[in-house]
Amino acid sequence: MPELSINKIKMGGAIRNWYMAALFVLLFAANISAGVLVAPTVVFLSETNRTGRITLQNPTDVPQEVNIFFSFGLPVSDSLGNVSVILQDSVTGDPKSAMDWVKAFPRTVVLPPGGNQTVRLVIKPPDDLPDGEYWARIVVRSQDARGTVPRADDNTGISTQLNMVIQTAIMLKYRTGELISNLELTSAGARLDGNIVQVMLDMVCRGNVSYMGILHSRVLDKNNNEIGRGKINLAVYRNLRRRIDLPITIENSNPPYRVEVRITSEGRTDVPPPDMISGNEIVRTLNLE
Amino acid sequence: MKSLRALRLSRKIMMLTGTILILSFGFSLAQDAATGSATATVQTIITVTATQALAFGNVFQGVSKTVGDNVDASSGIFTITGQAGAGVNLQMILPDYMALADGSDRMTITFSTTDAAVDTNGATPSTVVAGDGWVDQNPRVLPAAAVVGAANTAIYLGGKVTPTSDQAAGAYSADIVLLVAYDGT
Repeated sequence: MPELSINKIKMGGAIRNWYMAALFVLLFAANISAGVLVAPTVVFLSETNRTGRITLQNPTDVPQEVNIFFSFGLPVSDSLGNVSVILQDSVTGDPKSAMDWVKAFPRTVVLPPGGNQTVRLVIKPPDDLPDGEYWARIVVRSQDARGTVPRADDNTGISTQLNMVIQTAIMLKYRTGELISNLELTSAGARLDGNIVQVMLDMVCRGNVSYMGILHSRVLDKNNNEIGRGKINLAVYRNLRRRIDLPITIENSNPPYRVEVRITSEGRTDVPPPDMISGNEIVRTLNLE
Repeated sequence: MKSLRALRLSRKIMMLTGTILILSFGFSLAQDAATGSATATVQTIITVTATQALAFGNVFQGVSKTVGDNVDASSGIFTITGQAGAGVNLQMILPDYMALADGSDRMTITFSTTDAAVDTNGATPSTVVAGDGWVDQNPRVLPAAAVVGAANTAIYLGGKVTPTSDQAAGAYSADIVLLVAYDGT
């Protein structure tokens, strides 16, 4: 291809990228109607530290009405390895639920544009809890505080308004006593589907805390050339079936392929090191079916 | 020729001197800073915003109106910013109808099984393609494998309202709720 054509393509790509960026900025600046920033994304409390805090910030240009409430919801999976988080707002009866023990102050706040609010958390667990970890979800619900009812243009008009409401759910973990992090990989398999390697893993948490770690996966060919890789943050509370789709580059590779899976509690950058409970490492090599 | 060499040499000397001065200044700053102490805690964040509400605007009796998930000006847009690559669980709670404030009349609103797209690649409603994430998705069952993109993740939403031929005039509203949770913590 002539150099001029390549430059034209590059220039076209640059203009397209600039246009996209400008359009996105305009969209973003013009009409942000709801939303909130929440930090951190997981809160750890313990028998020696029964208070905590989260910070809320309003990144929009309109005031936000924010409500904080508690729920219970663990990552669960279906038979296909899809992971979801189902929140239960009522009393769950789950022996690991901490949602009834924790309170937030304040629970309702109106954040001005650009405003911040610290929400303090206090937990009062029952006495004689067995060692381990107990869980709740902190749900931050936000919406435009300016009112929700639109006006019709005239007596005969029909106008509409959809209010965009956001619920951000972060995990709260209360820990007590001796803590053990241990994961068992009960079954694992991998198969090739076109240019995707599908890895299916069944995991069981054998410790008394949730296993938090990183799941690394690499696809190798006959000559040990890496043709695909993946890395996800992993949290296993009880049982979890997890599917990972790894796009691979088949060109210039030699079958048979295999997948190396490594699960480790090392390397998480989203959790402060003092809050990480070091767990076991699992390494497994899977031949493609 | 000789003067050119001399000029280059003098430039090199000036650059070297400048570098030494800058380094020494930085070092002295570092020494000053070392006498004090400061701590900072870096926290991970998650930010979810409704960048744009799904907008049908004014509608007419007996005339349904559809807004696709590919319309820059009127599709609903949610944006999620956080740790790039982190898995997020997305659930949308969608209304079956919009209502007048006094509840005296309702208008049907529907969402098809292809009314949503999830974009992890910084596209827009009108430009997002399958390679950017997921297109033609059921908004009630958003992709389980969604992640936070390098810049952000956006969800685009369309829908349809169906006023009846005797729909009461007035202002109709409803809530669309997006629930976002990390699935890796």
